[in-house]
Amino acid sequence: MIRRAGLLLSWLLAAAAPLRAQDPRLAARLDPAALRSVQPLVDSARALGLPAEPLVSKALEGAAKRASAERIAAAVRALLADLRTARVALGPGADGPAVAAGASALRAGIRPEDLHRLRDAGGGAAVPLAVLAELVARGVPADTAVEAVLELARHGVAEPEYTRFERHVVQDIGAGIPPGVAAATRAAAPAALGPPAGVTRGAPPAGRPRPAPPAHP
Amino acid sequence: MSDLRGDELLERVVAELRRPVALSPDFDARVMAALEPPSPWTAPLRWLTRPRTVTVSPLGLLGAAACLAGLVVAGAALATRALRVLEPPPQVAVAPAPGPRAEVVRFVLAAPGARRVSVIGDFNDWDAEATPLRPAAAGVWVADVALPPGRHEYAFLIDGREWRADPIAPRAPANEYGVPNSVITVGARSS
Amino acid sequence: MTDLPDGVIVRRVLEGDPDAFGVLLSRYRDRMARFAVHMLGDRDEAEDALQEAFIRAYRSLRRCADPDRFDAWLFRIVVNRCRTAAARRARRARLVAGDAPAVGRAAAAPADPDGWREEIERALARLAPEQREAFLLKHVEELSYEEMARITGAGESALKMRVKRACERLRGLLRERQYV
Repeated sequence: MIRRAGLLLSWLLAAAAPLRAQDPRLAARLDPAALRSVQPLVDSARALGLPAEPLVSKALEGAAKRASAERIAAAVRALLADLRTARVALGPGADGPAVAAGASALRAGIRPEDLHRLRDAGGGAAVPLAVLAELVARGVPADTAVEAVLELARHGVAEPEYTRFERHVVQDIGAGIPPGVAAATRAAAPAALGPPAGVTRGAPPAGRPRPAPPAHP
Repeated sequence: MSDLRGDELLERVVAELRRPVALSPDFDARVMAALEPPSPWTAPLRWLTRPRTVTVSPLGLLGAAACLAGLVVAGAALATRALRVLEPPPQVAVAPAPGPRAEVVRFVLAAPGARRVSVIGDFNDWDAEATPLRPAAAGVWVADVALPPGRHEYAFLIDGREWRADPIAPRAPANEYGVPNSVITVGARSS
Repeated sequence: MTDLPDGVIVRRVLEGDPDAFGVLLSRYRDRMARFAVHMLGDRDEAEDALQEAFIRAYRSLRRCADPDRFDAWLFRIVVNRCRTAAARRARRARLVAGDAPAVGRAAAAPADPDGWREEIERALARLAPEQREAFLLKHVEELSYEEMARITGAGESALKMRVKRACERLRGLLRERQYV
């Protein structure tokens, strides 16, 4: 409640004083036209509780590549939309890095409903989502990549396991294995996964024995 | 073994498609410059040059670089060919606030004829001056950068005007500015 | 060294002579380039995919099960790199508002006074990727269906169907040329 009031207040302040709280990097690197378009977008993100850094970075990238103010504004706007979609799909519990990774996954072709499924399976954090986006970038078909990361999430693996899984898949692809096959194979390999978590939300894949739930105190 | 006998149109199509296709004149040079020696005894040295080999704290960064340098020099006494592509990293560029779980990543680009090359990405605020690469050998440019965990987009800038994505890394899906980026993911190390 | 069989050269590379890889590179570069350029319809993308393919081939050379058939193994890597590049481009085209070309630029080629070459590339670009791939491997690179099955991972009858469909489609798209 207090937080919402605080957000509302900062929204009002942002609307009332457009030059407040400028990121000095934007002011230093963007031309005035670009700055005028981009700053309100960055302020919106902050007001909505979305990570602002990806937007600042996108704007600075445009400046480095000497893009026009319109192009920079369009790019930042598009990314803001993706961040919003990711936030909705991942829920209010997702932190900034997770939302940013979710936006990357969306841009790689993952659907919002798949982000939602990942969240439900416990894979809605920054590392699993980044691995997901990376797999798709390397040619794994989107739905195969989603099922593979979901498999890991259902098993409750820790972050380093996601990274290790990704590295194995990348190696396999480099050796000539079709990307989809590589991802599906590695996700099914028992060595990559620990025993399934005690109680999982979704049903475990057919054929695997369902673990006994832990005794309740 | 053509099944197209009698299909005059497709025979003409295929004849046209069989004509040789020209690549850039420096294609071979670029490929050869990116190869490392594969001999088994250089495997430890290859490990050192492979990106994401080292997880260090900021305090340990310079110490780690010195150790790398020491190991590399010792190995180099046995491997003059290895030295062609490899050299002790004198210092490690540090991305702003890399944090305690930063990993050192080696960026490599074959750009013979370039006068200066830099890597530009979200880890240095897309600042063209922040992270220059140094010439290592025969047109190969190198930079070691400590990156915080997560996904990073970047590209190379050659002589201040030519943007180039990393030929070895996956591409970022979006390309709003007409210049594609490459992606590198720095993850938590498995034990 | 340039007339030694592939298997011998592969072994030389693995024994510690990276320059020997250069022989394999010059032996197969043009052929792989021809496939990649027609598959992707864009010379720059093809070069990137090829560069990546050769470097990956070098790095995983130890895993080449039959060094005397290095070309087939290399072809598999090239086919994969091209698929990755095409998937990347398709996603980019969906996400980027504006004029991401669905049809690639025609390859830098010998003179094309009546636009025939460009028309072929445009027609190729309109084939489904797996049909284009099968057509190029069968009729331009002249591989057997057995080799194609090993390279692409698809079954021989599926490949035959793809080639047949590709031919039908190309005939339809290029029909007017019959009367020129």
